[in-house]
This record gives sequence, structure tokens and C-alpha cells, in this order.
Amino acid sequence: MKLSLHTQPDVPLEADVIFPDLLLEKTVSEAAALEIFHGNEKTTLGDFFTITDENNDGTVEVEGDLSKVKLLGSGMSFGRLKIIGNVGAHLGAGMSGGEIIVEGDAGDWVGREISGGRIIIKGDAGHMVGSVVRGSSIGIQGGEIIISGSVKNELGNGMRRGLIAVGGDSGDFTGVNMKAGTIVVLGQLGQRPGAGMVRGTIISTHNAELLPTFTYDTTYRPTVLKSIFIYLRKLGFSLDDEYINGNYQRWSGDSIELNKGEIFLYAE
Amino acid sequence: MSKEPDIVKNAICTFCGCVCDDIELTVDPDGKRITKATNACVLGKSWFLEHKVEDYPVAMINGKEVSFEEAVEEAAQVFVNAKFPAIYGLSDTTCEAQKEAVAIADYLNGNIDTTTSVCHGPTGMAFQGVGESTASLGEIKNRADFVMYWGGNPAEAHPRHFERYAVTAKGMNTPNGKEDRTVAMVDIRPTSSSLIADIFLQIKPGSDFELLWAMRAMVKGKALDNTLEERTGISMEKLENLVERMKNCQFGVIFFGMGLTMTRGRHFNAGALLELATDLNDFTHFVALPTRGHGNVTGADNVVSWQTGFPFGVNFNRGYPRFNPGEFTTSDLLGRGEADALCVIASDPASNFSQKAIEHIKSIPVISLDPKPSVTSQLARVAFTTATYGINVAGTVYRMDNVALKLRPAFKSPFPSDEEVLRAIKHRICELRGIMINKTAAA
Repeated sequence: MKLSLHTQPDVPLEADVIFPDLLLEKTVSEAAALEIFHGNEKTTLGDFFTITDENNDGTVEVEGDLSKVKLLGSGMSFGRLKIIGNVGAHLGAGMSGGEIIVEGDAGDWVGREISGGRIIIKGDAGHMVGSVVRGSSIGIQGGEIIISGSVKNELGNGMRRGLIAVGGDSGDFTGVNMKAGTIVVLGQLGQRPGAGMVRGTIISTHNAELLPTFTYDTTYRPTVLKSIFIYLRKLGFSLDDEYINGNYQRWSGDSIELNKGEIFLYAE
Repeated sequence: MSKEPDIVKNAICTFCGCVCDDIELTVDPDGKRITKATNACVLGKSWFLEHKVEDYPVAMINGKEVSFEEAVEEAAQVFVNAKFPAIYGLSDTTCEAQKEAVAIADYLNGNIDTTTSVCHGPTGMAFQGVGESTASLGEIKNRADFVMYWGGNPAEAHPRHFERYAVTAKGMNTPNGKEDRTVAMVDIRPTSSSLIADIFLQIKPGSDFELLWAMRAMVKGKALDNTLEERTGISMEKLENLVERMKNCQFGVIFFGMGLTMTRGRHFNAGALLELATDLNDFTHFVALPTRGHGNVTGADNVVSWQTGFPFGVNFNRGYPRFNPGEFTTSDLLGRGEADALCVIASDPASNFSQKAIEHIKSIPVISLDPKPSVTSQLARVAFTTATYGINVAGTVYRMDNVALKLRPAFKSPFPSDEEVLRAIKHRICELRGIMINKTAAA
């Protein structure tokens, strides 16, 4: 099924019906009649999207400038959602399976509180990628979020399980309040990475200033990092051999919490 | 024989979050100005004595004077035709008016946010995230023997905070005022407030979180690396000494201002401070309070919380309240060009929001309620001149420690109150939407 945005929304469009689980069970006319919110106004998918039944391979393709369209792919559990264009907030929120691919940039709260599946963003993403919603303490509990570009603050806030990989830089408080899981940032980490982390692993191929509650352990060549980097190469990241085979400083923290988190920083 | 001036005893000053309730006002016999404001601070005197009833139109549409009813009709039409109406401001008006604003947002399935989102919003997020150890200012006056101010300058922003509540105030267990207290101040530069401090920590700009985190580690007896002084400007020895004094006081309090909440780290800075106060409760009694700026910004948090469940940045688009700072806070949603109508009550976003947000404000219909002309009211499609709360309007306000106080206004204004304007708009919206409400019910 293919959806092309024909009318640009004036105000945010909350299109939480665009996910394969629901759309692949519908005919084109049934899909066009699905109810969405344009601001406070109830409207239908067909009012904004031209829907065609172009492929039957379990993929839903959405194209257009979707930067004001929120909640695409939220709650999906299987199938493939391909987005061609920039996309708005809450992409893939709470998803448990399937794959989302965005050929463009994404807004804030990409993959918040997901428990499975994979989200691939070819461009940049906003704040709170793979994080909690405000008021909650546990972020993603599984799945993978792979971002080629850079992200803003609070990447992986409260993360409990899963993998988040960022090709560019990350903003402040990367991995804040992390419970477990793995975050890889191939660019520069922002300020205060790992603040309040209990367990979990943050890896960066650049140096970074850590909080005074992190302590230096040693510099070595951890085998696990090689495995992670080779996996990231398979996902399309270009990684020089020097990073894959290089030495890394290992820091422990956050001592205010359990001190069982680890941050690996590439040692030149 | 000339008429005697009216005296209003125990009047309440709504200029700042201290909401001092011991002001004695002398009202000129003409009933149009205040000639004396005994007990008020320099800011309070200016608030009362410079207030004059000026000859502004009650209402304007596109800059042209219209009747109150015409303006209400236009405002209601703007609201009901909007798909994403946003209501903002509310920190300088009564709780009764705030309640009407929440009702409008609810009936319209709109968005409501207060100026909290650009001052102590991070504190609200931190309360939700880590909790709050708190006390009333009266309890602090009577019991606190260790007082710390972090990222604020109360001598200039809240001039009577020291004498009424926390430093020189004499209380039940602090009969000698300042002599019974240790006063600590944390700021990036010396200020007029730091002059009274027994301990002054001049920290490097942007290092609040690191210092708070280090203090938490010290309180908990956890490992710290030795780069603290280089990063924060405070030596380990000095900090250890301070932390020991905090752990050994009888009743400690940390007041914190926007120097903490609006610098890099925001809600994490506020959260770290609140967690420090909580950690210190393993050793003694410790509380933390934000020093709120506007007269009834605390009331705005309370009213929006008790009516929607959340303190600010609340969206009703889908018929039920949702809270998400960053998504539903006004400066952010205007910056992304998302709202299609804006109602501003007692605030001036057109002069202090980001350029992108201001450009968007200029492109959508704006309804403004303000006692004086502002940049926002100048570009509003519908502008109401309203009476000033506390001076002309009675009602309820909340002090910065969440204590509710009843206003004692000095004289009447020819202008309607925010509450009257908002209620009239609400009634008209309900008529247009076919919603039955009891118009005779109390506010």
C-alpha cells in the first residue's frame, strides 16, 4: 500500500492509523476512511493522502513532507513502513516489531518506549530518541534504532534494553538514567553522557568530558566492541578499521547510582 | 471639606511570587490611584504607586475601538474556527480567571500553557520525575537554620524574601534571625544578594549540574574524580565543608531560581537539586523550593494541575488532557508553526519568544487580554484592556510555597477583569458549539 500526502496539514496531523498491522488488513477505500486528528478536528486519511494498492509485499510506503505528521508507525508489531520525506514527532512510538525506514529527517521522540522492531533513519533526528515519555522512568525495552545523522538531547533516556546507534553527534544527556542496553555514537557525545545511569553501555569513537561521578578503569581492546562495530558495518555504517581494532578507555559510573554503567571512549 | 483617603489594611502585593500580605495602602479620595504603600518593597511601591487608570479602549479589533460585546463575538469566532487554538500566559491574573481559561481550552479541544514553561517549567518536570521535599515559607521562617539560594538574586528580584521568610526573619526557633542561620549562596557572579551570605560559592557558568552531582556523591559517600575544581571553580575541600554543614543542620532549605532552571541542563539541573535535598533527608530535615517570579504563576500551576492533572503544556486536541513539554509548550509549538490561533492573557510573547515563534504569532489571529498595551496586544486581532489583579480585582492567588491568599483590591477599575472577559468568551463559545452550561453558576 502506498500513501502520498496530497494536502499539507495546517496544524499537526496525528496519523496513528498509519502502521502495517492496521493498513494491510484494509482495502484502499477502507484505509481512506480511517479517522485521524488534524489538530482538534476529526478527519480521514483520504483527506490528506492519496492511497494506492501498489505492492503486496507487506510494505506500507508513505511519501511527502510529513514533518507535521505525528505518530507514524506507532504501535506497529510487524511489516515494513517506508517513509520517503521528513517525518514529525513520535515516529514508531511504542512499536514492538517490524521495521520503519525513513529516507529523510525525523522529529522528536523517535521510537519512544519501543519494545522491539527496528527503526532506521537515513537523516537526522530530534530530541528524546528511544526515550521515556515524561513522568515515566523506563524507556525502550528492546529493538534497534539506527540513525545515520545526528540527534539532539536525551538520546536513550531511561533505556532498559536494545541498541541505539548514531552515525553523527548526539546532544546532551545521552543515555541519562539508563538501566541497561547499548548506545553507540560514532560522532561527538554532548555534555553529561550517562548521568544517573545504573547499568548499560555507551560507546563513542570520540573523546568526551564525563561527569565527576565517573571513574577511569583502564584502556584496552574490548572484543565486544569489535562485534558491535562489525554488526553496525553490516547495517550500513562506514567505520574505519582503526575504530574497530582500536583501544578504548573504559569508565565506570554513575557512582551516585549502582556504578555498573560503562562508557567506552576511543583512545587515540 | 475634603474627603479622607481610604486605607486598605493587609493588602496583597502581586508583583512577585512572595505575595506579601501585610501591605497598607492609602487610596486617593478620587479612587483612581494609590498614594502610599506602607511595608511594600521598592518593587511593590512601584507596582502600587505607578498604577493609574488610563484612558484605553475596553476592546479593539484590528486596532479599532469596538464594544465589549463585539470583541467577545470576534474572539469566540476566532476560537471556534481554529483547529489548534493555543492559550498562553496566565501567571499575572487570578485563579478564577485561570480556571475560565482552562475551561475554554477544554471546550475547544485546544492547548493551554502558562509562563511556567519559560521559567520554572523544568522544575515542574523535575517534580514529576524525582519528587519534591517541600515546606511552607512559614515553616522555613520558624525552623530553618541553614538557607541556601542557588541561581537567583532575591535581594533584587524578591526584595522581602530575606526579611519575611528566610534570612533575617525571626521565628519560633530562630529568635535571633540571621544570627541563628547559616546562609549560603551559589551563583556565577557576586550579586547584591551574595553580600549577606556566610558562604558564597562562585561557580563557573554552566557547571551547576556537575556541582550538584558532586554534592550528591559526597552526601552519599560515593566516588568522585579529582577534576571538580577545574570544572566548577569550587575546591573539593570547600565543597566537603559545605556538605558537612548541610548534613549537620537542624532544618535546611535550598531556594533555586532561573539561574538553575533556564541554563543548559534545565530540568536535570532542577532534578539534581531536588534529589540533593531528598538525599540530605537521610541525615537531617531538608527541603527545596523554587523562587517563583510572577505574582500568581504558582496559582497557574495549581489551577491547571487540579483541572487537567498536569501543571503546564497541556493539550486537549483529542478530547482528553495530554502533557508533553517540548511538544505542547507554547514557545515550542509556535516555533514549529503549529498553532492557528493564540490567546494571550497577561503576557507578552511577541516581545520575548524566539524570532521563529514571533513570526508565526504575526501570521495567526491573536486575542490579547492585558491591563496595558504590549507588543502582543499591538498585533492582536482582538485586544481587551482588563483590570489589574490585586489592585482592582479581587480573587485568589498562590504564594510561591503554594499557600492560597485572597486579594484585597484598593479601588475599582472601569475595565472588566480577565475572569469576566474569559467567562463571556466561554459562554459565547458554548452557544456557538451548542454546549449547555449553567451561566449563573459561580465562577
